[in-house]
Amino acid sequence: MYELFKDLGSWLTSGDQWSGYDGIAHRLAEHLQYSLLATLIAMAIGLPLGLLIGHTGRGAFVAINLASFGRALPTVGLVVLVFLASGLSMWPVYIALVALAVPSIVTNTYAGMTAVDPDVKDAARGQGMRWHQVLFQVELPLALPLIMTGLRLALIQVVATATIAAYVSFGGLGRYVFDGLAQRDLVQVMGGAVLVAVVAIALDLALSGVQRFLFRHRPA
Amino acid sequence: MALPMNRRALLGGLFAAAAVPALAACSGGITSLDEGSGSSGGGSGSSAGGLTIGTANFTENQVLGYLYAAVLDAAGVQTKVRPNLGSREILIPAMKSGDIDLLPEYQGALLHYVAPKATATEEGEMQNALTIALPAGLQVLPYGMAEDSDAFVVTRETATKYGLTSLADLKKQNGKLIIGAAAEVKTREVGVVGLKEVYGVEFKEFKSLDSSGPLVKGALKKGDVDVANLFTTDTDILDNGWVVLTDPENLIPGQHIVPLIADRKADSTVRKALAELGNVLTTTDLTELNRKVDKDKKDPEDVANAYAKEKGLTK
Amino acid sequence: MTIDWSWIGDHTDDLTTLTVSHLQAALSAVFFGLLISLPLAVVAHRVRPLRGFLLGLSNVLFTIPSIAIFVLLLPVSGLTRTTTVIGLTVYTLVVLLRNTVEGLDSVPVKTKEAAKAMGTRPFRTLLTVELPLALPVIMAGVRIATVMSISLVSVATYIGDGGLGQLFTDGFQRDFPTPVIAGVVLTLLLAVVADALLVAVQYVLTPWTRRRA
Repeated sequence: MYELFKDLGSWLTSGDQWSGYDGIAHRLAEHLQYSLLATLIAMAIGLPLGLLIGHTGRGAFVAINLASFGRALPTVGLVVLVFLASGLSMWPVYIALVALAVPSIVTNTYAGMTAVDPDVKDAARGQGMRWHQVLFQVELPLALPLIMTGLRLALIQVVATATIAAYVSFGGLGRYVFDGLAQRDLVQVMGGAVLVAVVAIALDLALSGVQRFLFRHRPA
Repeated sequence: MALPMNRRALLGGLFAAAAVPALAACSGGITSLDEGSGSSGGGSGSSAGGLTIGTANFTENQVLGYLYAAVLDAAGVQTKVRPNLGSREILIPAMKSGDIDLLPEYQGALLHYVAPKATATEEGEMQNALTIALPAGLQVLPYGMAEDSDAFVVTRETATKYGLTSLADLKKQNGKLIIGAAAEVKTREVGVVGLKEVYGVEFKEFKSLDSSGPLVKGALKKGDVDVANLFTTDTDILDNGWVVLTDPENLIPGQHIVPLIADRKADSTVRKALAELGNVLTTTDLTELNRKVDKDKKDPEDVANAYAKEKGLTK
Repeated sequence: MTIDWSWIGDHTDDLTTLTVSHLQAALSAVFFGLLISLPLAVVAHRVRPLRGFLLGLSNVLFTIPSIAIFVLLLPVSGLTRTTTVIGLTVYTLVVLLRNTVEGLDSVPVKTKEAAKAMGTRPFRTLLTVELPLALPVIMAGVRIATVMSISLVSVATYIGDGGLGQLFTDGFQRDFPTPVIAGVVLTLLLAVVADALLVAVQYVLTPWTRRRA
């Protein structure tokens, strides 16, 4: 057992392991690329959707249950299905990751919007603001903390799941888990797992810090 | 403010309902609700308690697994097939620990896995070498007629472009070509390691794909890889006009199908049934069975049963 | 990409077996998750210093990719259903722990003090006051854990188990969408039905949260 951890330590710190095509630096970069791009795409889809549902109040059923649906979707199945439809490309990876992140973003954006005091919205309308002014100048700023939490959670989820890229021959940290399985190289598997966890946690802490700073003047 | 009786009963009932399947999962690691195999008592092998056939994560191995099951069932041995378990690196430890009892293997590949520096090349020699090299508790039964070897394959265009006919020719392109294969090939003697040692070949990059499956073949077609590790029974090689690089130094040993079995299950009934199968199944037959599963989308189990019946191995 | 309906017709037996196997794995994981998380949550709730540690540890565990956990368990319990259930339980445990602690936190202090004033011992308070009041949040956790578990079972196909997940690797190897589609649909159906059932259970168990007519 101790041997395993010692080997893991050397694997994570050896210069060899960091350089080259299969090196940690490259795989890490790939993993971050998949995660960030997928989250950005999910934001582009989920934010407007969440804002709209939150502002108009219509489609609330969708917003609330989308998260459940997203959670139920088997990523392996989705990746394979898109792969069979589109062949060897990044589509399966991005579609699966976006499908995972969108529900979380929509639900949290919607939650943020519904948390806005209706009296404040009334007051804004009473002052003669049009719907887009109410949305962007009143609701959005007030909903921002919860929206940002939703984005943060989505990113973390995506980082943890981007290992699926390895299912269909691509890179990222999932490569270490998959190759380690095939080669029965447990140190490699552990290395991959530890790296994913570290990246996810680091991003989580960093973004929470940013959130705390941005909203430091708001009442708790 | 206690929960009234009926709600407590409901809660308890739910808990119990969930507990039943949970406890079932606990008892001896059953993989489904079907009966698993038990290992039989001591002495020299007995298949009385039934046996579990494991198969690797590619089509042909599953066809073989179901063929074994078909002939063993006909001989009165209770079998259970566990398809798609993974690479040899996963399967051999599973055999050692008793999770599976029987595995369709490939003579030369197995030998080089348990004894990387083995030099035997002739089938009889390899069989002896295997008997010596295999860990205690495992043995190989006589090898069958059918054979499926590893092949390193390039497209016709690549072969013409770089003048490639044999594995030795790859050395001239050191550092330029990308090879695609299942991840485990990177660390195997019959793989990247051996190619370097025997032919001095170095690749620009190794792409972890799969065992003669959609990933590696797709990559070869698309040009994402220059060299692909496929299996000789894969009909796509012929269908696409791909070139199999020759092996003058005999890095790739002959790979007859050979059953790998746990000692405790190897009784005369099992031996007889599998030997009969080995003497009937030809490479051509096997290739055809693979094609039925991959291209015609038939179930490996159905294809195996039909074949066994047709050849008179089962009723 | 088309569905071969005749394949589905021919394979209803297999699909049923896989669905049952799939459900059994998911439910076992939720069961064991509850079994372990309940006492742990009580400890985390009552013992201040341990709380941060337990919740932090579970957050870390949650970020480990599920495929990695399954693979790392192989030397422990081999290619068996046990490995799958242990792996899944790690995740259900995390979700249930978080929710149970949150649920216990949500019990009004005044209510607990009232019970104490009446002479109720701490354990009985837990059983008859705190847990029932925490039930809505705990049930929300059970719902999340169950749905998540049903989705995660298919990852175990890479270690030879996986319930409906086996349809995915099969379809992948043979370039055959039908089993994959069947697997995705059945998984989603299982999740929807399980979720709906749990909503019904929650409704029955917590009458005081129902809206007054």
